[in-house]
Amino acid sequence: MAPDFDRSILGQIFDETDFPPITKNDILKFAEALGETNPLYTDVEAAAQGPYGGLIAPPTFVTRLRPQKMTPEHMPRFGKMGFDGGRDLENFIPVRPGDVLKMVSTIHDIYEKTGRSGSMYFIVLRNEITNQNGEKVAVIDHRIVQR
Amino acid sequence: MRTIYFEDVEEGDELPPIDMLLTKDFVRRYARTAGMDFPRFTDDEGARKEGLPGMIAPGVLSMGLLARLISEWNPAAQITRIGTTFRSPVLPDCNIHLLGFVTQKDDEQHTAECDIWMENDDGERWVIGTAAVALPTKAA
Repeated sequence: MAPDFDRSILGQIFDETDFPPITKNDILKFAEALGETNPLYTDVEAAAQGPYGGLIAPPTFVTRLRPQKMTPEHMPRFGKMGFDGGRDLENFIPVRPGDVLKMVSTIHDIYEKTGRSGSMYFIVLRNEITNQNGEKVAVIDHRIVQR
Repeated sequence: MRTIYFEDVEEGDELPPIDMLLTKDFVRRYARTAGMDFPRFTDDEGARKEGLPGMIAPGVLSMGLLARLISEWNPAAQITRIGTTFRSPVLPDCNIHLLGFVTQKDDEQHTAECDIWMENDDGERWVIGTAAVALPTKAA
């Protein structure tokens, strides 16, 4: 059964955030917090000799960018409880120091699944990230589950 | 830098597992670094007030650790897609095991698909996912 909501909200932009330039230190600290050992993310000099000619951020670095509004003002509600169901992340080009990133957020999809414990509603929020050259950097789909 | 080429990867290859004690300090430090300095990720009392059994690890931390599993296997692999499902809350301090294997190779694109997951000591899979990686090739 399709959940009952106003489908015109799908694809509407609910947030646009511009971030300050990414620093070398932002990347190094993030990599360290994950315990990364890959020199492309952790070692400025070794990364300079690598395929990108310099330091790049680990793929999940973009998940640390916090938009001004994490969720839309009129977030649809289908249940009392909400939890983080998962993420899908697509990386097109790596983030580098000096990048000026922009994030545009939309409600991408809403669907229902019926399991053993009844109906669950999935709200998929999409963050599209571009850089100062207008290149597509990454897309994050965030699945919020309500029941 | 250690490099595994597309030609040397076989379907079924296991990624070298990462076994670690996920401590509260590790989770707190990640939460602070990632701008997720919320009680549910930093302190047991605060998390209980939100109805949780204690502080939990952010889902994106689990995702980041699974990306690290791939990056430690092959630092030259470029992760183009990673998808994770958070099946169960991850409560530190606990042992976690990050595991995965190559499920498919694409000879045209020089890419590989991997199944990846995080499990506890009892083999319960708390986080499951898949990733696509682009691999360097000897022919290039």
